[in-house]
Amino acid sequence: MNLFGLMETSGSAMEAERMRAEVVAANMANTDTTRTAAGGPYRRQEVVFAADRDDPNFLNSMSDAASIQPTGVSMPALPAIDPLGSAAVAPGVRIAAVVQDPSPPLKRYDPGHPDADAQGYVSYPDINPITEMVDLMGATRAYGLNGSAVQAEKSMITSALEIART
Amino acid sequence: MGMEIATRLSDQLARYIDLASDEAKLTAANVANIDTPGYRAVGMNFEAEMRRAVTDVDDNRPEQAVRVTDVDGLVARPDGNDVSMDREGLNMAQAQLEYKTGVSLLRIEYQRVMDAIHADSK
Repeated sequence: MNLFGLMETSGSAMEAERMRAEVVAANMANTDTTRTAAGGPYRRQEVVFAADRDDPNFLNSMSDAASIQPTGVSMPALPAIDPLGSAAVAPGVRIAAVVQDPSPPLKRYDPGHPDADAQGYVSYPDINPITEMVDLMGATRAYGLNGSAVQAEKSMITSALEIART
Repeated sequence: MGMEIATRLSDQLARYIDLASDEAKLTAANVANIDTPGYRAVGMNFEAEMRRAVTDVDDNRPEQAVRVTDVDGLVARPDGNDVSMDREGLNMAQAQLEYKTGVSLLRIEYQRVMDAIHADSK
C-alpha cells in the first residue's frame, strides 16, 4: 500500500478538473467567434471523464466513443457498466474525449457583418453563459475537494514519518 | 518464545494503519471520479476487515487483500454516477484520523520496546 499512489489519484483528478475549467474558459471566450480554422462559427466544447481503470471493456467502449469525436456531431453513448466488475478500484481519472456540442449555431440578423450569409444572418456559437458558469462551479468544487484530499494524504504521510522519530 | 521486537499489538496496529490507508485509497478514487459518467462509488466494511486482520495476526497468516464492494443506498445522478461529496469528505476525514490514531499508538508501542532495550542504562 503506497500513500503516494493516493496523491497520484487525486492529482489526476485535479488535472482533469483544471482541463474542464480551461474548456469552459475557452467556451466563454469564444461566445462571439464567427470564424474558426475549421470554418463556420466556434462550437461549444465539453470534456468527458473516464475512470482510469484496467477494465478492457470499459476502456474499449470509451475509446470507441472517442473515435467518433473528430466529426464532432454526436456525444458518445455512456458506456455500459458491468455491475459485478465495477467494484475494482480506479487508480484515477482521465479525460476520455473533448466533444463538440452538436446543437446548431444561433442565427442573428446582421447584414453588415462580414460573415453574414446571403440572407443577412450571422451564425454565432450556441453558448449559454449560465450553463458555462454552472460547469465552472462544478469544476472548481471538484478541484477543491481533490485538493483537500491531497492535504489529507500529505498529513498522513507526515504522521507516518513520526513513527521513526524518537 | 523467542526475542521479538514486533509485538502482537504492533502487528495489529500495522494492519489497522494499512486498513485506514486502504479506506483513504477508496475514498480518493471515489472523489477523483466524482464527474465520471457511470462511475459507482466503492467502499469497504472497516469493522469486518479489522476483525479478519486480528484473527490473521493471531493465526500468523499473511495480510489479505481488502474486500471492496459497491456502496449501497446512494442516489445516482442522471449520468449513472453515485459519488456523494459529503460521504467522501467525511470518509476521508475519518480515514485520516484512524491513520493518525494508529500511528500514535504504534509510536507508544515502539517506545515501550525502546524503554525495555534501554532499561539497564537508567
